[in-house]
Amino acid sequence: MDAQKVDMFIMTNGKFFESHQVAQIRDRLIALDDSKWGIIQTLQFKDPTTSLIISLLGGSLGIDRFMIGDTGLGVGKLLTCGGLGIWAIIDWFMIMDATREKNMIKLQQVLY
Amino acid sequence: MPISRKKLYFILIIACLAGYVWLYFNLTENLTGNTNEIGVCLIKHVTNIPCPSCGSTRSVLSLFHGNFKQAIYWNPLGILLVLIMIIVPIWIIYDYFANKETLLKAYLKTETILKNKKIALPLIMMMMINWIWNIIKGL
Repeated sequence: MDAQKVDMFIMTNGKFFESHQVAQIRDRLIALDDSKWGIIQTLQFKDPTTSLIISLLGGSLGIDRFMIGDTGLGVGKLLTCGGLGIWAIIDWFMIMDATREKNMIKLQQVLY
Repeated sequence: MPISRKKLYFILIIACLAGYVWLYFNLTENLTGNTNEIGVCLIKHVTNIPCPSCGSTRSVLSLFHGNFKQAIYWNPLGILLVLIMIIVPIWIIYDYFANKETLLKAYLKTETILKNKKIALPLIMMMMINWIWNIIKGL
C-alpha cells in the first residue's frame, strides 16, 4: 500500500495501539494489498482514555470490562464487588493496555 | 484471538483463592464474636450506597451455617458465587489432569451467549432489581 496512506492511518490511529506494535503495523500495512484499504479505514477502535474514565467510575461494576468485550471478566468483577475492590484498582492501571490489545486483535483480523 | 487458557485459569485460581481466604477471615471473625466488619466495596465507601453485589459475603456465610432463607435475603448472588467457587476449582483440576480445555470452551460459549441482547437485557434488569432491593434493605 501507499506509504503516504499508511502514515496517515498511523497518525490518526497510533494512539489506539501499544507503541511497540506501531512499527510492526506500519510494515504490515505497507505490504498489504490496496483492496483492503477500505475495510481498514472504516474500522472503529476503542479509545483507551475512554475506557480509563469508565474504569475509574464504574470499575467496581465491571463496566469497563464489558465495554472492551471481556464479558466473562466483567461478570466476574460485577459479582465480586470489583474483585473485593482490589481487581477494580488493578484494572485502573491495566485497562488502557487491555483496550489497546483488543484494538490490535481487531486490526489483526483484517491484516491476516 | 480470545483469552488464552493459561491466563483464564490463572485469573480464576487467584479469584477462588482470594475468595476462600476472604471467607476464612470472615468466618474466624464471626467465631471470635468480633462484629467489626471490614468493607471492601469501593462504591459503598465512596457513596455510602450498597453496590449490586454487596451482602454476598454475608449470604455465603449464612449458607455456610445452613441458613438458606437468610442467604437469599442478604443477596441471591451469594448462592451463584458459592456454586462458582465449588465448581471452578474442581473443573480446573479435571482439565489439568485430563489435559483438556473444557472450562475455557465453556467460558467462551457463555461469553457469546451473554453477548446476545435478548439474554443480556433480562439479566441486566434482574441485576438492577437486585441493586434496588439492596438499597432498600440498606446493607
